Amino acid sequence: MSRVIESDVCIIGAGITAAMVAERLAERTNASITIIEAGQRTASLAERTNTRARMLAYGENPYPNDHIPDQTGTGNMYRQMVVGGSAMHWGGAIPRYSPEDFRIRSLYGVGCDWPISFDDIEPYYQEAEERIGAAGEQGPEDCDPRSKPYPMPPLPLSYNLARMREWTDSAGIPFWTQPWARNTEPYRGRNVCQRCDTCAVCPTGAKYTPDFAFDQLLAQGRIDLVTRTLVRRLALEPGTDRIAAAEAVNRDAPTEPIEFRAGTFVLAGGHAWSSHLLLLSANSRFPDGLANRTGNVGRYMTGHWYVSGFIDLPMRLYPGIFANNSLLTHRFASPGPLDRYVRHDIRLWESDVGRVPRLRNGDGGLLWGDEVMADWRERTDSGATARIRSYYDVLPDRDSRLTLDGANTNALGDPMPRIDYRPAQASLDLEDHTHNTIFGRFEHLARAAGGSMMSRRTSRLWEHPGGGCRMGDDPATSVVDRWGRTHDHENLFVVGAPTIVSSGCANGTLTFCALSLMAAEEIGNGLGGG
Amino acid sequence: MPRSRRSFLKQSVATVAAASVAGCAPDGDGESGAASDGGTRAGATGTRASPLPASTLRAVGEAVLPAELGDDGRERAVAAFERWSDGLEPVAELAHPYLVPETRYSGPDPRPGWAAQLQGLEKECRARFGSEFGEIDVAARRNLLAGPVGQAGTGLGSPSNAGHVAVALMAHFFRSPTATDLCYGRVIAKQQCRGLDGALGEPVHVAGSEGGAP
Repeated sequence: MSRVIESDVCIIGAGITAAMVAERLAERTNASITIIEAGQRTASLAERTNTRARMLAYGENPYPNDHIPDQTGTGNMYRQMVVGGSAMHWGGAIPRYSPEDFRIRSLYGVGCDWPISFDDIEPYYQEAEERIGAAGEQGPEDCDPRSKPYPMPPLPLSYNLARMREWTDSAGIPFWTQPWARNTEPYRGRNVCQRCDTCAVCPTGAKYTPDFAFDQLLAQGRIDLVTRTLVRRLALEPGTDRIAAAEAVNRDAPTEPIEFRAGTFVLAGGHAWSSHLLLLSANSRFPDGLANRTGNVGRYMTGHWYVSGFIDLPMRLYPGIFANNSLLTHRFASPGPLDRYVRHDIRLWESDVGRVPRLRNGDGGLLWGDEVMADWRERTDSGATARIRSYYDVLPDRDSRLTLDGANTNALGDPMPRIDYRPAQASLDLEDHTHNTIFGRFEHLARAAGGSMMSRRTSRLWEHPGGGCRMGDDPATSVVDRWGRTHDHENLFVVGAPTIVSSGCANGTLTFCALSLMAAEEIGNGLGGG
Repeated sequence: MPRSRRSFLKQSVATVAAASVAGCAPDGDGESGAASDGGTRAGATGTRASPLPASTLRAVGEAVLPAELGDDGRERAVAAFERWSDGLEPVAELAHPYLVPETRYSGPDPRPGWAAQLQGLEKECRARFGSEFGEIDVAARRNLLAGPVGQAGTGLGSPSNAGHVAVALMAHFFRSPTATDLCYGRVIAKQQCRGLDGALGEPVHVAGSEGGAP
């Protein structure tokens, strides 16, 4: 006999997209909201000063108990399963996608258009920025469109970035600063950034993490947050396609099932675990998994690749001032007409690569004490290093796929997810052209400073991943509609990363949040709110 | 299998580390201070480090740390290393690399091996010079250290991964904010929280460095 917990809205997963949905619904409806999280709480803000110190000294994980040992998949995916999700560890970069990202088929004849335009999502970008607390600098309007100012002024340039911006200006490429989820003013009860330069774990609370939102909602009595509880499958109402319950177990008492009943269910498990749960929930009516009548769940797994390098600059910089701020351009993400498709961003950081103390000099001779320092000074006096990186758009193949891996099961015997990413042939055909174009721009930048490329590399790591439940107007080629509602189940929504069509060339979190707020509006409309 | 690997490493570390220095047994269990430059370890398992012989460690410091630090500066650097060493937790869960689904752990406890290396230096020194390590001149100390330090490669990476205590000491110091400021002659104060005011300013000179005091 299962214990039954009922609510109007049941959100599965307690990461940043869950925080967006819960916060909006709590403000605009009277709905009762339950959030189920398989993980637990990790280091509180008060504990982060100490865990930060341990991370700096020993490299230790600053978020203890942020994962479940046997709940892990194969392929590029996040380790975290914790209240706050991967947005506990994030650096807080929150660029928007570019308008072109939503229309690449129409504009460039590659990939797929989204069912929404930039104009459709823009108000939700703004709302997400206001909920998170975005500090940003308006870039040139033609490649950084927005209808309202950022909620907070940008993080100030460091001395290093100011010198680097003089350099990029001389190259004729407009750079501005990355927008961040870090306070430059007191905001929503949180502190101002202190430039501690360990943004993965912020000891001041200036960086947004979703636990702040959950704590406020809990204090207001607006949500129930049920932790250490793993949802194993969704069950249908008999004879209908509506979701009736989320069947779960408390990890401390796995023989005692819990049934969460609700009018609306929201999957907020991130790019891997939402598709995974749909596939796990196969039944006689949906033998290939829920929301999977057309076989698209787990497909079109996406992300972007990057090229990167280090530039030797003939200038005096002081690496260590604030490496967690960076310069950014979206000029090449909004390139206008193209003879051949290539879109990317460029970002620049201070760096000490090539200019750190070492045990042997360039000739291999062993160095001691003052010799180490002299060798180090010689290399820091003679110039500085900039780190440069570009994310570029990679189009996913339909067979870029998350599947259930019967060879890898958790303690309950449930198969874990396996992700095998695959680019579309169009992206493979464009890869050399893309690399050559971007490296050419890196070289241009280096020459503008009188410097040179120290090194360069390419990466096929699918960063800022998403997909698996992509949105679309046509159920034959998508899993959810523009609001995140599954085509197959009127009371089941998927929010955030799984629903994206492609990853563009910018960090995805803000887009995941904006899409979640769109879904929350639709859910709220059904609850008499909005 | 992260738990079994962790357990294995915990059980085997002392044996492996001690065996790496033939003929030099570690001192055995000693008290390790709770205080550390690196914060306190929540849920620490109480692993006790072999204490590093203080006088030999300081003699190593005189050989491998910059003389420009002066005696006081070197003493501070060695003491900071000792505090760091005391706080080290072997086989600790490490920060997750980006988009890697496995859990990673730090290596086995290096301290028994480091202690044994220091004791080995004293033995070798007495055998060759009839003196304690700290009594021979710096050039001779470096000669004794050159062999093991020379096996350490080129870089000064994480001190906890250093195969020799001299390299660990160097890495701990040269990766510190103090060393960075000394190198640049400027107060960069990396990883120190400092507020947003004055971000644009060039870091001020370190007191006494070229260019004058701030």
